[in-house]
Amino acid sequence: MTTALLIIHGLCAVFMLGALTHQALSVWWPATAGTGSLFRSFRAVRAAAYANTVVILYIVTATLGAIIYPAYRIAVRVFLEDLRLSAANGVFELKEHVVAVGLGLLPAYWYYWRQPLAAGDATARKAVTALLAAIVWYGFLVGHILNSIRGFGP
Amino acid sequence: MNAARVLPVFSIAFAVLYVLSMENNWALFTYFARAREFHWLIATPPTPRAGPAMYWYGWLATSAIGAAFVAAAASLVRGERMAQLWRGLSWAVPLAAVLALVFILRGWFIRGV
Repeated sequence: MTTALLIIHGLCAVFMLGALTHQALSVWWPATAGTGSLFRSFRAVRAAAYANTVVILYIVTATLGAIIYPAYRIAVRVFLEDLRLSAANGVFELKEHVVAVGLGLLPAYWYYWRQPLAAGDATARKAVTALLAAIVWYGFLVGHILNSIRGFGP
Repeated sequence: MNAARVLPVFSIAFAVLYVLSMENNWALFTYFARAREFHWLIATPPTPRAGPAMYWYGWLATSAIGAAFVAAAASLVRGERMAQLWRGLSWAVPLAAVLALVFILRGWFIRGV
């Protein structure tokens, strides 16, 4: 069961990562008219359309993470401590906390992306989106690395 | 009144309260992973077999409730100047919170700290 939840947790994180990366790049580096390169197309998205999906995916991903967290605490963390992999434990500790800050950031994120977009909120919108994207990237990479060191299961 | 305008205040307060909760262990409840039991506030393991105490859920609850109160209080304050202030703080404070967390957790990465 835990392994199934971990896989769903990871898949939700992948969807969220894609949505937030599209959105963050589109506001920080808007696509201009020109050649239809892949990178330009990546940035030429209707960024506001992603906001509600990102909020839902973040909550679902964090909830799944919270459900499987005790299994990590009992089996994986102890294993890392036994191997004296202090940095590996540390990056996960940090993940747990920055994800919590990201959870608290969601109301501001949603507010600044509500339609119609307020021109005065542009800077806050860009900054909050970038911070949330950085948090999700960090969480995703750490989760992947930790799972590579020691996945769940016996 | 547009209640949504205080949402950035919630985010600001949540970031501050989370760091304070984590650093001072202000957990609203404790979860014992192996026993699968919740206990109010900071609890010691009821039995040695209860497993490690987890405070993370309790810190989240403390921060969310505290931030909701702060946001409710902020709804009494109006004005474009306040909105401007919240716009700036809504990303700066969470960013500062992340940096503070890195500093607090530096012991995991630097020996002898």
